[in-house]
Amino acid sequence: MKTKLLLTIPFLFFTAFILAQNTISGKVLDQKGKPIAGANIYLDGTYDGATSSETGEFSFETTETENKFLVVSFLLFETFKTEIDVANYKDQTIKLRENINALDAVVITAGTLESGDKARVSVLKPLDIVTTAGSAGNIIAALQTLPGTQTVGEDGRLFVRGGEASETQTFVDGIRVAQPYGATTNNLPTRGRFSPFLFSGIAFSTGGYSAEYGEALSSVLLLNTQDEPDMDKTDISLMTVGLGVGNTQKWKKSSLSVNTAYINLAPYQAVIPQNVDWNSPYQSFSGETVYRYHFTNGIFKLYAAFDASKFDLNQENINFEDKIRTDLNNNNFYLNASYKGTFGTGWQLTSGISYGYSLNKVKYDINDVNNDENAAQLKLKLRKTVSDYFKLSFGADYFITKFNENFDDNASIQASNGYDSNIAAFYTEGDILFSKNLAAKVGFRLSNNSLLNETNIAPRASLAYKVSKSSQFSFAYGDFTQTPVVDYIKYSKYHQFESEKARHYILNYQFTKPGQTFRAEAYYKDYSNLVQYDTRDIQYNSVFNNNGSGYAKGLDLFWRDSNLHKNLEYWISYSYIDSERQYKNFPAMATPNFIANHSLSVVTKYFITEWKSQIGFTNSYSSGRPYNDPNQTQFMNGKTKSYNSLSFNWAYLLTTQKILYFSVSNIFGTQNVFGYDYARTPDSNGVYQRQVVVSTADRFFFLGFFWTISKNKNENQLKNL
Amino acid sequence: MKKVITLITLFVVIISSAQTQFEKGMEKAFGLWKEGKNEEASAMFERIAAADKNSYLPNYYVALINTTSVFIEKDRTKIDLLLTKAQDALDKEIIKDQNNAELHVLQALIYTGYVVADPMTNGMKYSAKVMECYAKAKAIDPNNPRAVFGEADYQLGGAKWTGVDTKPLCIQVDKAIELFATFKQETPFSPKWGLDRALEAQKNCKK
Repeated sequence: MKTKLLLTIPFLFFTAFILAQNTISGKVLDQKGKPIAGANIYLDGTYDGATSSETGEFSFETTETENKFLVVSFLLFETFKTEIDVANYKDQTIKLRENINALDAVVITAGTLESGDKARVSVLKPLDIVTTAGSAGNIIAALQTLPGTQTVGEDGRLFVRGGEASETQTFVDGIRVAQPYGATTNNLPTRGRFSPFLFSGIAFSTGGYSAEYGEALSSVLLLNTQDEPDMDKTDISLMTVGLGVGNTQKWKKSSLSVNTAYINLAPYQAVIPQNVDWNSPYQSFSGETVYRYHFTNGIFKLYAAFDASKFDLNQENINFEDKIRTDLNNNNFYLNASYKGTFGTGWQLTSGISYGYSLNKVKYDINDVNNDENAAQLKLKLRKTVSDYFKLSFGADYFITKFNENFDDNASIQASNGYDSNIAAFYTEGDILFSKNLAAKVGFRLSNNSLLNETNIAPRASLAYKVSKSSQFSFAYGDFTQTPVVDYIKYSKYHQFESEKARHYILNYQFTKPGQTFRAEAYYKDYSNLVQYDTRDIQYNSVFNNNGSGYAKGLDLFWRDSNLHKNLEYWISYSYIDSERQYKNFPAMATPNFIANHSLSVVTKYFITEWKSQIGFTNSYSSGRPYNDPNQTQFMNGKTKSYNSLSFNWAYLLTTQKILYFSVSNIFGTQNVFGYDYARTPDSNGVYQRQVVVSTADRFFFLGFFWTISKNKNENQLKNL
Repeated sequence: MKKVITLITLFVVIISSAQTQFEKGMEKAFGLWKEGKNEEASAMFERIAAADKNSYLPNYYVALINTTSVFIEKDRTKIDLLLTKAQDALDKEIIKDQNNAELHVLQALIYTGYVVADPMTNGMKYSAKVMECYAKAKAIDPNNPRAVFGEADYQLGGAKWTGVDTKPLCIQVDKAIELFATFKQETPFSPKWGLDRALEAQKNCKK
């Protein structure tokens, strides 16, 4: 007994204290052999460990014996884990591999301008959409301050790099919106249908985009609805042009936001001189709702929007003595349901369905033109993360469009035209990271169009290389196809059309530092298969062909900075473009009338703390645009004077939840000329008379009061402005 | 018999020395933190977190150290890394227990870190979230001094921008100071920070 006890006691002491003297030491290096300081080195499941020194060295003692797992972790690197013999681990060298998912890995940036939470380099911040002077809460207007876009004042839609507005497609949560713009008529600018504050991220691609997106020759605009609203709240807006009410309810796993607005431009039209006669002002009633439900591994979203708008006006027309009356009624409905989630190991599924319905009733002079469009899209996309270095996505979508138009001149002509189109597409794409500095994306899109009776395959590829911590180069190439616009294909029963085609080459350089972004992008676009016709107007008996072609090349520059002065943010965009086309009824290659060779936007925002105000200025300039003067022999030989508009806005915080907002666009009331409409026939002296195309009004004033009611007194609608 | 007692005592000593390994580790980490060796303290807490999954405290302090470092760090890229690290550590504990007021207070502090780093971009985005976190914390424990003070302090910080009335906020600061006095730590390592900053805020209120 005694001896046993005597043996036990030292043994117990021995285990507890004496064995504790194994030293573990070594050095932590990166792949290039440079020491890593601050790495955490320890034996898994124990408290024993150390932090590496400036020279990467570490040393610690442990009570452990035998084999244990040694863990080395550091934020920027992949965690290293290895089984070691505790007694014999001294002066070892451990090399850590860079973590590819770390914040500073290379991203492909050619063609893409991003905004929002998830974007690495945001050129536009979510707030910018609404606080950019001159944008008046219109997403499209804010995007027009970015390089690669054209300001086409009489139209209002997005014109990207020499492309027509119809060449840009809009997607909400990855699903196409068939009718993204409000209804309009001749030379009356439209705006985007979407109120900016339901969206948390915007990616605007000016070319070379992913194989996931099709049916767009020039550009895609990707809008993502918020996954989660901030909180329960009610928003009330009183504006000189109407009123709006919004409400958000949040529950444990789901939330619902509803916004409605009534807009009536009568007060504004009464105050500001108008260049057209309004019989009845522009009025619209619109509503949007988003419902979100969070599952354990995914999120379901339902987005629905409705709007009804109408106006009635008389416009001068050079061909007629009297003004021509346009009376328009538009109803639009859009529904989008999507699910995004993860399953298995590394799988991500995105699926959705959208339906859009648009009904237009237009009285133009004595003619009635009524049309309706039903458009739907079904989409399924899968993405598998094979490793940190390789991701594979593939998916399919199906577009259905039914369009019908009835024309009645209330005398002799009655006609009905329309088309049914079904497009099935499949795509696949691989994302490869060769290293933290080199990434590539390669894929293709295969589509079949039943109406055009054709199958297209469109390859896409992009590459990015990071040359230093703050700068990188990207290159993108892609083939793009798009069904000709409705103006043509509604005559499909008279002519078999083909898809129009474009090929993009883009070279991008990007420099980023906290608070600063510089981008330069050079591009070349080659258009082919464009639709041509031989008549003055597009009509059923025109002779059509798909032999048109064109090109666009240019340089886009962008600089954004918030470091120059405290509370000041500004950005500058400059675009140079050289583009010609032979399409439509052009007799020769010429620059289309929506293209200005030089565009420059300067946007500034300044927060004045003492005044509790944010003020901003935006100046947009573009050089003259071409127009065709039939009095001259050369086609498209005319050039308008240049365009300039300076806008201003001021947001004043009355209290935290009450904001007064004032904005005025085109302060100096410069009469900007967008082009000229020439008479169809010459007058008695043999001269074609002309009429200038200008804005409906030179200035736009806006005064609004915004009030947020919520439990949280800090929330306000500044972001909605 | 005496020998038996000796033996038992020895066992107890050894076992209890094993039990207090957690305490030793925590004490060591706090020591490093006090010396201003933030990285090493954070690493020590990480090791404890990896070895001992029963307590939320090691990860809590990993998150706290990295978040508070942000308020003195100037390099914006580093700020992102620190906050990401803090968020990762906090996420591990929030998943396990959503009814811990301290975790929600810390979440609010992480969001505040983003706001402080770039107020123009993140102010609007995170302010509502900060307030929501404090509201959650107060719903769980209305007398948590850090929740009461944090909520008031965040609004006081933004007062010059938002023009909010500071009087009721200062009353909340006073209330928080009282709560600090009566607050009982659950364990010797449980959070107890915040009083000095509250006193600072009280001084500013009286100006």
